Amino acid sequence: MTANAHLEQPARAAPGTPRNGSPQQFGRQAVTAVPMLWLLVFFALPFVFVMKISLAEADIAVPPYTALLTWVDNKILSIHIDLSKYLFLFEDSLYLAAYLGSLKIAAVSTIFCLFIAFPIALFIARQKPETRIFWLALVMLPFWTSMLLRVYAWIGILQSNGIINSVLLELGLIHEPLALLQTDFAVYLGIIYSYLPFMVLPLYATLEKLDETLIEASADLGARPTTSFLTVTLPLALPGVVAGCVMVFVPAVGEFVIPALMGGPDTLMIGRVLWDEFFSNRDWPMASAVAIVMLIVLVVPVMLLRSRGRHSLGHG
Amino acid sequence: MQNLKRGAFAALIGLAVATPLNAADNKVLNIFNWSDYVAPNTIADFEKATGIKVNYDVFDSNEILEAKLLAGRSNYDIVVPTASFLERQAKAGIFRPLDKSKLENYKNLDAELLARIAQNDPKNTFAIPYMWGTIGIGYNKDKIKERLGVDTITSWDVLFKPEMSAKLKDCGIAVLDSPSEAIGTALGYLGIDPNSEKPEDLAKGTDLMKQLRPNVKYFHSSQYINDLATGAICAVVGYNGDILQARTRAEEAKNGVSIGFSVPQEGGLMWFDVMAIPKDAPHAENAHIFLNYILKPEVTAAISDKVHYANASTAATPLVSPEVRNDPGTYPSAAVRSKLFTMKAHSAKFDRLLTRAWTEMKTGK
Amino acid sequence: MTSLASNRSAAGPADAPFVRIEGVTKRFGDFVAVNNISLDIHRSELFCLLGGSGSGKSTLLRMLAGFEHPTEGRILIDGQDMTGVPPYERPVNMMFQSYALFPHMTVADNVGYGLRRAGVARREVKRRVAEMLNLVKMGDFAHRKPDQLSGGQRQRVALARSLVRQPKLLLLDEPLGALDKKLREETQFELMKIQTQLGTTFIVVTHDQDEAMTLASRMGVMNEGQLVQVGEPRNLYEFPSSRFVAQFIGAVNMFEGVLVDDEPDHVRIRSEEAGCTFFVNHGISSAPGQTVHVAVRPEKIRLSREIPPGADNVVKGVVDEIAYLGNLSVFQVRLGTGKLIRVTLPNLDRHEGTTFEPSDTVHCSWGPSSGVVLAS
Repeated sequence: MTANAHLEQPARAAPGTPRNGSPQQFGRQAVTAVPMLWLLVFFALPFVFVMKISLAEADIAVPPYTALLTWVDNKILSIHIDLSKYLFLFEDSLYLAAYLGSLKIAAVSTIFCLFIAFPIALFIARQKPETRIFWLALVMLPFWTSMLLRVYAWIGILQSNGIINSVLLELGLIHEPLALLQTDFAVYLGIIYSYLPFMVLPLYATLEKLDETLIEASADLGARPTTSFLTVTLPLALPGVVAGCVMVFVPAVGEFVIPALMGGPDTLMIGRVLWDEFFSNRDWPMASAVAIVMLIVLVVPVMLLRSRGRHSLGHG
Repeated sequence: MQNLKRGAFAALIGLAVATPLNAADNKVLNIFNWSDYVAPNTIADFEKATGIKVNYDVFDSNEILEAKLLAGRSNYDIVVPTASFLERQAKAGIFRPLDKSKLENYKNLDAELLARIAQNDPKNTFAIPYMWGTIGIGYNKDKIKERLGVDTITSWDVLFKPEMSAKLKDCGIAVLDSPSEAIGTALGYLGIDPNSEKPEDLAKGTDLMKQLRPNVKYFHSSQYINDLATGAICAVVGYNGDILQARTRAEEAKNGVSIGFSVPQEGGLMWFDVMAIPKDAPHAENAHIFLNYILKPEVTAAISDKVHYANASTAATPLVSPEVRNDPGTYPSAAVRSKLFTMKAHSAKFDRLLTRAWTEMKTGK
Repeated sequence: MTSLASNRSAAGPADAPFVRIEGVTKRFGDFVAVNNISLDIHRSELFCLLGGSGSGKSTLLRMLAGFEHPTEGRILIDGQDMTGVPPYERPVNMMFQSYALFPHMTVADNVGYGLRRAGVARREVKRRVAEMLNLVKMGDFAHRKPDQLSGGQRQRVALARSLVRQPKLLLLDEPLGALDKKLREETQFELMKIQTQLGTTFIVVTHDQDEAMTLASRMGVMNEGQLVQVGEPRNLYEFPSSRFVAQFIGAVNMFEGVLVDDEPDHVRIRSEEAGCTFFVNHGISSAPGQTVHVAVRPEKIRLSREIPPGADNVVKGVVDEIAYLGNLSVFQVRLGTGKLIRVTLPNLDRHEGTTFEPSDTVHCSWGPSSGVVLAS
């Protein structure tokens, strides 16, 4: 954990370092170029486009925003940048409330996903290799149907004349149907259910690689199962925990469909605000500004998580 | 992406050959319409009669259509926005004026309805009315009877008087998640011009909605169809067509849910879906041929029969089956019709105020 | 018990057994991994379990550690029945073949892990970790992570980690298996030194007979789940009780023969394979006519050009091949019957080549007490 531990490199690392200009290095560059290109095409370029729109002004035109660059008299290039959208994000408390609402829902859902997914992943990882695929398939199976269908299935289960309420009424446990749908509870349930596999899979991937003898070693050294889990399994599963949390948290923040279908009227999430800006207000620049800030709000905690994960892993 | 490529390709050809675009492949027509919004044989008959191949795409919200149109180069020849949306889109210069000399069946259209649409589309320059409907209250007859002791709903009081809406809270009230239509309806109830952009009028409409708000289960623009049919909600402010669809579903399911619809006596909102030709339509000529075809009384009547929406053709209406024609949910009585009002497009500034007020009403934030 | 300097002093084989394995059998489904083993191990012994892969030696070790549970029988450690006692409550520690060092902890944290679990005060942990790391000469590496260590260094850390709790019994699973030959030999002696110094009872599992011979004060040979023979290394080598043990430990020439004469003080065995009759000056209790084996170690055979006078056992053959190994040479001699036997001679003189060349006709002879008659 101390800094000097990182300074001392293992002696074996030296022969592995590539020399400049060697074929291996070219190969490595080619290999890293593919994801870089991917990032450029599917992340950087769209980001720049959206950024550009966020700096324009809304207009009744096709497209419905002003150009940033215009030629005046075909001679002078005039640049028109409008930062008012970003300022407005701070003027109206709605945006802050929506961002915080989204972050809260995403964070709570992520934590629940983690607590539910960890035992599942651990269970699967401890099965015989031949039977693991079966359990993994059970986790993955719902993904082969449309997400919308699965959300509707939950609506069918939760609604006032749905399965849960019918059974409870039949058993005489309740006399009035419980309001399960159109509540924050339903939103959490929908998000946790939908994103659970995104948590299970990375956790499974790290736990599957976990050397069972390490657990035995800790037991041998006097650790009870709980202690063994906390001091060995959990720290070693940390990369999976971080990856799973990112994969659940990030899309959950931007989630639109689940709160729209399962949430109550007062469920306020940033995805809805963005939708309103784009479709109800037809203010593409404002919608873009909301999206850009959402991205920044997301990227910062992800970076923090990543660096934390890397730090506690040492050289990983 | 494909549209973009096709557009670029067409542009290249245009440059090289310098001939009118529609001369290149004039046997094609690209239509973008609402889902489930034609009779089964409407398109096939058109293709057979004219030899024009139709590419038929569907959407399910005005917002999706608008986003496509505003992004530009949609490549569609016929689109079907709601009139108030068309009004704003026309200001952005999206549409091509109709050449009415090519529409000999235009004369079949109801002059009164054309005059109403002219509020959105001055002089009916860009669009012909396709189907129209209303926004009213859809309700579960048994549950309303049980709680309010009435067989039919005749007044908006049921929702806008908190003591009455409270009685329906337990069985579920849903409201369209559409600020302009919902607030417009509220203003109509208050006797205020539904198209007013005065902040104080907006405040009055919002206040009225706030009184209803605690008793509302959810705000959504399509979820209620299913919920009304299954009995999960008992009252909804919604589109007549959707509520009639819920009624059909409940009848088919034989689940004992009996659904009613009414436009209350204080009046309600009237909407028009209209057909228009985008400015950059690659086959404008064929689009006119199609519009003229749609305006044929027998074609229009067949669509109304199928989709259970009222059409805007005086010549077609007598051909519509009595079952549809005499359903007050589809064809309101003259008395109700005189109390219907239409929505205008709002200024961008007012749209923002409206959306904000709506969000605040819903979430308290 | 608090001082690392405690030694084996009073403890010795004369005490009551420290580890008692009573009729232990372990089955995995139909497979019998350990078959009815009973064994006593005394305090401060360094006991080696020697066997090939699949012989059940690791399963037995894991049952001692508590990772597996006997299907039948029971294990007592220091008089306490271990049945139902989980690993974390046993007075036992194990050094794993893979070392099983925690990759996310430094060397010091690895070694201190067991002490922290025992609730030892932080300062005391630090002191004992340092002490233990010094013992294994890893004091300078306390802050490294396992992946920054060489194989030998990891082995020392693993040893330190398993010793720091001062277990009554230390189990070592192939402790030197991952090291190269030279390092292995050095470490063997170090391991013995540490064992003597601490007086801890060691049970070492290994497949390497040299390692077992070097380390063990006593050893047991396992085959197919059974304990074939137990004894001091010398006894096992010189007095194997079966062909398996004779062949497993060291090289041996094995002759099949028929017992022709069985007296209390000697036996004669007629071997068709060797083409002669063997004379062995110890009796066995078997009926004449029974098929037995005579085992003769290669270093116990002399080579000569002439028949040595008065020799009890002589066979004639031709030198087939010679391997020079530095300290000794290995001769492969083809007997008249076609059987190949192995003879090793020390290289006593530096200048001389071997006395014999390939194709030389030689006589192989050994004394009456050099061979062992094996009935099984």
